[in-house]
Amino acid sequence: MFIRVCAYQSWDTTSISLTAGCDLFMRYVTRTSALEYEDFNSARSRLIERAEKFGEISSKARRIIAMLSQDSIFYGCTILVHGFSIVVLEVLKTAAQNKKLFRVFCTEGRPDRTGLRLSNELAKLDVPVKLLIDSAVAYTMDEVDMVFVGADGVVESGGIINMMGTFQIALVAHSMNKPVYVAAESYKFARLYPLDQKDMAPALRPIDFGVPIPSKVEVERSARIYTPPQYLTLLFTDLGVLTPSVVSDELIQLYLWS
Amino acid sequence: MDSRRASRTVSDPKIRQVGFFAPPPDRSFSGPPDPISTSTPNPATTTTAANSPSSPPISDLSPTGNSLPPVMIPPPRHSSDTTHRLVPSPLRRDTLSLTVGSNNNNNNINISSSPSGGFDLTAVKASSVPASGLTTVSVLKTLPPGFTETIVEKVGGSVEMQNDLPANSKPLKERTSKAERRALQEAQRAAKAAAKAEGSKLPATTSGAAASANVKPAKATKPSSQKNDSATVASSEKKGGDRPPEKDRKKDAPHPRMQYDDKSRVEKAKRRAVVKQTEARNRVELFRHLPQYEHGTQLPDLESKFFQLDPVHPVVYKVGLQYISGDISGGNARCIAMLQAFQEAIKDYSTPDEKTVTRDLTAKINSYVSFLNECRPLSISMGNAIRFLKNRIAKLPLTLSESEAKAFLQSDIEQFINEKIILADKWTLAQSLRGNFYFVVYSRVGTACVAMVAHEFRVPVLVCCEAYKFHERVQLDSICSNELGDPDAISKVPGREDINYLDGCTNSENLQLLNLIYDATPSDYVSMIVTDYGMVPPTSVPVIVREYCRDQVWI
Repeated sequence: MFIRVCAYQSWDTTSISLTAGCDLFMRYVTRTSALEYEDFNSARSRLIERAEKFGEISSKARRIIAMLSQDSIFYGCTILVHGFSIVVLEVLKTAAQNKKLFRVFCTEGRPDRTGLRLSNELAKLDVPVKLLIDSAVAYTMDEVDMVFVGADGVVESGGIINMMGTFQIALVAHSMNKPVYVAAESYKFARLYPLDQKDMAPALRPIDFGVPIPSKVEVERSARIYTPPQYLTLLFTDLGVLTPSVVSDELIQLYLWS
Repeated sequence: MDSRRASRTVSDPKIRQVGFFAPPPDRSFSGPPDPISTSTPNPATTTTAANSPSSPPISDLSPTGNSLPPVMIPPPRHSSDTTHRLVPSPLRRDTLSLTVGSNNNNNNINISSSPSGGFDLTAVKASSVPASGLTTVSVLKTLPPGFTETIVEKVGGSVEMQNDLPANSKPLKERTSKAERRALQEAQRAAKAAAKAEGSKLPATTSGAAASANVKPAKATKPSSQKNDSATVASSEKKGGDRPPEKDRKKDAPHPRMQYDDKSRVEKAKRRAVVKQTEARNRVELFRHLPQYEHGTQLPDLESKFFQLDPVHPVVYKVGLQYISGDISGGNARCIAMLQAFQEAIKDYSTPDEKTVTRDLTAKINSYVSFLNECRPLSISMGNAIRFLKNRIAKLPLTLSESEAKAFLQSDIEQFINEKIILADKWTLAQSLRGNFYFVVYSRVGTACVAMVAHEFRVPVLVCCEAYKFHERVQLDSICSNELGDPDAISKVPGREDINYLDGCTNSENLQLLNLIYDATPSDYVSMIVTDYGMVPPTSVPVIVREYCRDQVWI
């Protein structure tokens, strides 16, 4: 089982949430007295049982996060969303189901077109959506009440690693005193500590500009960015509503006492 | 009794905990982290308070088990104290070790405690170990007279602070001669008059003075009569409704550590000191609350006393001398040297009859610690190491034989040194670390400047530090607690002899040289701390302090 987990990790070495998730999965599953059982079969079935429970827990996590964030979505608010995160979508879905009146600004999310996908989904929920190009964030920040993003990974300092563009939005929001909320499950907590953007393993991906680019022109192809904790207001996780500094507390307890 | 003892230690301003310590979150409802943080209960610590006097301070640090609110006004402790005070001279004279001096040394530190926070706990512990302190009456005949004086005065001082005097009263009145009784009465009368005349501060000093007046017949019964003296003095005060001065000061004092600008306390500390501190010349006014730097003049003096000082083990003495001369410097080196010296001392230690290993050994360690503190103020790491050692001593199962206990302790110390210091010592920058919500890096002077500039230029600042140096003490700036170094050191530039503008300026009235050894760097300038637990953000220092001290696990 350990081998298979390692296989998952090596499949996409750039995915932080996968790494973190696998790590935590291993810890969760092996942290049981089942391994002391004499009978191999019973130990194995116990491990499988815990593994399945882990899967349930992560989907339950999204529901918990959605529930916790309902309080911050008030009547008539405007939410700016960046990237396509299932957790954030769940949050907005729950709010819509609770008959709250709010509207959503979606950034386009080039080149992944995350904004287009998200606006599709939200339109199905009858939530008023407005699409912006990525550069229009500062222009509309005055009208925005809060920013909601997901996270690929939550690092020890309390910062997050997310799709390219998140840091800019957080910076603008911070300078205009708008809260930035992050919705992330606890298995995304990783034991990384980047001090600046270069500290992370680069995740490069091809970008299509639609027109041919001369070969002498370099293209910045990084797919993700680190947002430091001072620009984040709160993290909604299945462990509760946390401030960025508590993330390290959780990680210490998680990794120290097992 | 236990609750009172616990309440006293909680309310003691030296180790007051302000703020909330929530129990670890109950994660039963979700998540991968669920199996991990079951809040391990700390009834163990509070119940062992009954058995071992050294655990109440530990229970203060493990807040989950502490049922008392963080800041508490202590209830007046009249009843038990008066009963104890009225019992004269509760001494047992069946042992011949010199821990009287040692324990009292430590009690003095209780009044005027050392700069390091960790040591405060040891002080508190010592004072709640009355039995060993009072029950060992030294054979003073063998000591040089000068030393007798200090011991006797210490005894006088100690009784003031004893909260719970043991009820094992074998009144020694029948053994005191008439002359001594007369002297005793005179002393009492003088003390009473002094108390009425000059208020609460003086009875300690007058009892000390009375004690010194009675020094000449240096017999084993001396301490008993001194105890009588101060006991009755204290009891008379009690009747008057005043508390003994040290207790008042302890409770009301905003400064938990020895304030060197408080004349009476300095006097008292001087009288008790083994290491004679010379008067510093030309002290800077703002920094008079710090221990002043004494040029290493006492080195030859102490060297000559090497073979005369029974209470201090030779190895500990040697380490102290090395501190003074600067041969050993640096937090880790000092800590390792100290622990190894303690290992030696434990090896040579033999339990006196009718005493428990834990109490007596703890008292001995206290005496060594106070001696080392006089040589050079303890660092944070040393405070933590001492706390660890005392914790281990306290946890020795009572059924162990003496040699087993010694071997056990020695291996513990060895393990501590290896794990905590050497292994974590792969990288060392900071001297010591103190943590609270406003956390601060306390290291060699100059660090704060560098960190501030680096922060401005967006250069990350990393601090490398072993976790055992983390401390829950709060320090807002570099002035409230520090060490002073040799002022002449800053007037010379090494390697450039021609820069001598400041030669001979130490005696001028308008110029005072100040050489601080440590400074405090605020947490905003620190990007990350590297510890043996991994990389943590500065905001997580209280978490590590909390985890580290929980259950005395000392992982």
